[in-house]
Amino acid sequence: MTALLDHLLATPLLAIALTLAAHAAGTRLLKALGAPAWCPPILAAALLLAGVLALLSIDYADYRRGAAWLMLLLGPATVALGLPLHQQMPRIIALWRPLLACLPVAVLLAAAYAVGIAWWLGAPPEILAALAPKSVTAPIALGINAQIGGPVSLMMGGLLITGVATVGFVSLGARLLGIHDERIIGLALGLNGHALGTVRAFEIGPVAGAFASLGMSLTGILSALFLPLAWRLVGA
Amino acid sequence: MPVLRGFLWLLGFLLLGETLVTLTGLPVSAGVVGLLLLTTWLRLHGGGLGDIAAAAQPLIAVLALLIMPGVVGAFFILDALEGQWTAILAALIGGTLLSVMTTLALMRRLMGEASAPGEEAPP
Repeated sequence: MTALLDHLLATPLLAIALTLAAHAAGTRLLKALGAPAWCPPILAAALLLAGVLALLSIDYADYRRGAAWLMLLLGPATVALGLPLHQQMPRIIALWRPLLACLPVAVLLAAAYAVGIAWWLGAPPEILAALAPKSVTAPIALGINAQIGGPVSLMMGGLLITGVATVGFVSLGARLLGIHDERIIGLALGLNGHALGTVRAFEIGPVAGAFASLGMSLTGILSALFLPLAWRLVGA
Repeated sequence: MPVLRGFLWLLGFLLLGETLVTLTGLPVSAGVVGLLLLTTWLRLHGGGLGDIAAAAQPLIAVLALLIMPGVVGAFFILDALEGQWTAILAALIGGTLLSVMTTLALMRRLMGEASAPGEEAPP
């Protein structure tokens, strides 16, 4: 059994097949449950996949090596987000003034709230550093992490928890505040919840998706410029 | 095949982004630079729109699948929390709740609610 598993894991095929299967199963499962907004299909799929990996006692590092072939497509997929951004450009340009006023503040707060709470609860500086890029899309967050430090695995975990929490809180908050505007919901999703939020926004609609892409890319760029500078100023 | 030509466009912008990031040493990802280059290119009517759309739309549709291997990793990092899990979880979840609420309230105040969202057809 172990020998067979090792043999199958020698190529990326098994990891890719498991990922596709979990994605299909997770999507079906949630559809059967009536697609609750607080639980994105990807969370259900990821839980299923984690369960299968644990059951077959496949090491996460081994799985990840195979799945890297799938993640390679993240690069062109990120570039592809430029298309909805282009298609929605008239709406974005019509809003350039509020966007310019709002985005830097929102980006700064996304990091400041989390770092502030962790600092208040007595977390050491390296953990604060790992939490700071929590709303930034993974490839950029890795670049920021290289500059300000902190454990990488904790930072990646923080990104994922933030993404899932954002999807839940945005649908909750939009209902509480009575917001139905796809532009506002999309921006909030992309700005706070990076790729996970953007994926959710495309489920809501193309306008939400485009504004989420905008929020995600601007958060990434502003954070990449702001955070290392702010870190040096605070002297941590 | 429009899909393959479109994929080549996307790879071209990604590689261009990679080149710019490497040359300038900016801590920005090649993907995001590529995204901005693509938007600028389309804005300038650089061409290839049909091909790019043929490749971009299916890729965006499977974005959730592509980030799944990373999401699964979250369940395997519990030992990396280093005994600070209360502070970390409070910071991540509390911080996200606060920033989502602030963003929603701020945007609504500054942008104003659209009278009828999605009324005009996207181009």
